Amino acid sequence: MMMLEDGCIQLLCLTASSGVPLFTRGASKQLPFSVIGSLNGVHMFGGGQGVLLSCCETEGGGKVVWRVFHDSVMLIAVSRGGSSGGCSKEEEIRLQRLLENVWHCMVLVLGQDELVNLRNVERLKRDLRSCFCLIDQLLEEKQQGVLGNLTHCADSLLPPNPTLLQEAVDGFAQAADSEFGCLFVHGRIAVATEKWWRLAPQEVVLLSALVRTLSASGSASCDYPVFLPQGSPTVAHRLLRFQLLPGADVCVLCGPTPSLHRAESELVGQLWSPLVETLRSCLSVGERSLPGSVPLRPDVLALLLINRETRRSVSCVQLSSYHLLSDPSLSKSRCWELLKLFYIFSMSRYFTQEETLCVSAEDGAQGGHTEDFLHGFSHQPQQCYLVTEECKSYGLQTPRHQLFLLMLPSVPTFALRTVATQTLSDIISATAF
Amino acid sequence: MARVPPPGSFIPDWHRCTESKEYFNKIIHKKKRKNFGLLESPVMPPHAAVDTVHYKIFISGKSGVGKTALAARLAGLNFPNVHHETTGIQTTVVYWPAKLIENGRVLFFRLQLWDCGESALRRFDHLLPSCKEQVDAVLFLFSFTDRTSFVDLLNQIPKWTESSHGCLAKVVVGTKFDLFMHCDVAEKDVRKFQETWRLPVLRSGGEVSDGLGDVAPILNCLAENLWHQDCVRAGAAIQHPQQESVTLL
Repeated sequence: MMMLEDGCIQLLCLTASSGVPLFTRGASKQLPFSVIGSLNGVHMFGGGQGVLLSCCETEGGGKVVWRVFHDSVMLIAVSRGGSSGGCSKEEEIRLQRLLENVWHCMVLVLGQDELVNLRNVERLKRDLRSCFCLIDQLLEEKQQGVLGNLTHCADSLLPPNPTLLQEAVDGFAQAADSEFGCLFVHGRIAVATEKWWRLAPQEVVLLSALVRTLSASGSASCDYPVFLPQGSPTVAHRLLRFQLLPGADVCVLCGPTPSLHRAESELVGQLWSPLVETLRSCLSVGERSLPGSVPLRPDVLALLLINRETRRSVSCVQLSSYHLLSDPSLSKSRCWELLKLFYIFSMSRYFTQEETLCVSAEDGAQGGHTEDFLHGFSHQPQQCYLVTEECKSYGLQTPRHQLFLLMLPSVPTFALRTVATQTLSDIISATAF
Repeated sequence: MARVPPPGSFIPDWHRCTESKEYFNKIIHKKKRKNFGLLESPVMPPHAAVDTVHYKIFISGKSGVGKTALAARLAGLNFPNVHHETTGIQTTVVYWPAKLIENGRVLFFRLQLWDCGESALRRFDHLLPSCKEQVDAVLFLFSFTDRTSFVDLLNQIPKWTESSHGCLAKVVVGTKFDLFMHCDVAEKDVRKFQETWRLPVLRSGGEVSDGLGDVAPILNCLAENLWHQDCVRAGAAIQHPQQESVTLL
């Protein structure tokens, strides 16, 4: 069954009780209404027989994943599958996580009450449009360097001078009667107050995504009501965001005071003007996300480093003329894609952790995805590697970190482990990440 | 386009003059409008330093008339082509140089446009007071394709009386003027409105060009009205209270 264009995912949202379509996103060509109706129907039929339908696969490698949230909203993801190179298990995890993220986006913007107590479907349809920017961001997955939707770790940028910025964020949050403050540089977290890190990891990721969309609009400041999907799904907080420099945004989550006008006119200039140069040097770190003082071997193509305790991650792709000499067909976007696929590959087969695979705690319909042979062992794999035509990849985990490294195919396979352990210790010793 | 000409007018179409180039170059980068962070502002060389005057402008209008789109257009930013309600307050900063006719003085206007979605305004009580706090002007929007948005102006404008908000400059902009096939507001209605309320009515719409031509009339008109209001407020002495020199960063 050829349902969709190559490689894209379509998302359907319906009311759970009556199957009224609320919105569809993704794929340029919408599924016909009859197909949407059938997808809803088959799930409902299962429900009538006491069967929970959560996932199915088409003959052509496509996949459909269903999930109902709070008995009120049903989300369905349909993917053509295959083209991205992942196998079907990985695709399912990806789709499950997508649905969960989409639901959280909806709660973040509209609040849980609005979604659970469906009173006026037409109004809800209109209100849901405010979430489209965020949802599209999840579906496109084109944003290079942003992996938080997948890893549920906060995409971070390690600034060259964190102490100054940390003091500034702490001071700014305090002046704004808030304990939650965060500085974003190029859409990644540079520094944040301690409390910001105590938000649920998914909330941190979601707020980052929101700030990226607000920042992309080019506006100077915002006062945006947000519902935290886990911390406060029914009571809104205010997210104040200020664009200090293009690419550098500071945010606070606060209560009724201060007003946007007051925070901007009295606090922003006073507390941040002295730090313009510091902010500029932070901006110049750019896509690399790591300060220049951290050396990376030239044969490293891409890396993703996760701190498992703080739930933060740094990632980068370094594609120089050196790399292109060995393989001119490599592109930045392909490297990001490969990095994501290798992450999913390692996480779903080897580094299985409840923290990262809590895909559907709600209905508990999650089966294991680990390699069958693992079930016979009492221990967990700590390292894995994968050799393909395009690159060689190495993954390793320690109690604190997980590193996923992509290297040029010319690196001898026996050297992968040394490169990976060396890279890990280089970054940690230089940045204390 | 009849306007109420306030004294202390600025040179119209100044952006077309060659002498204005050095000023407009500060707000343009690679043929696109420059985006300034809150810690930045256009910086002129010391010998040509000019004053920057700061104003807060609230954009008022029915849902869907194009408040966010107009703010983005005035600032030279991209805006989404699919409409959705703005959640909460979003502000946009526009820098605009203008030259006084009477004494040739050049000023940089820093216009901060405050835009807030209608349903968020209704749902969250703190938003409207925040928009009104120390506001200098209101930009009333209606859409040429939606007659109710035009009629609604009659309810909106009286809410912003001088007594409760102090001195306020008011400018009206009709959006989606290009969609004349769907035009729902007749020219004679607009003229009548203009006579009754004695407010400037400007038009906006059509493809966004990379030039300044399509935003200049609105920005000049806003600048003029704000400046005029300040002059009235300050009496004879043309002195802006919030005046501050260009910060060198």
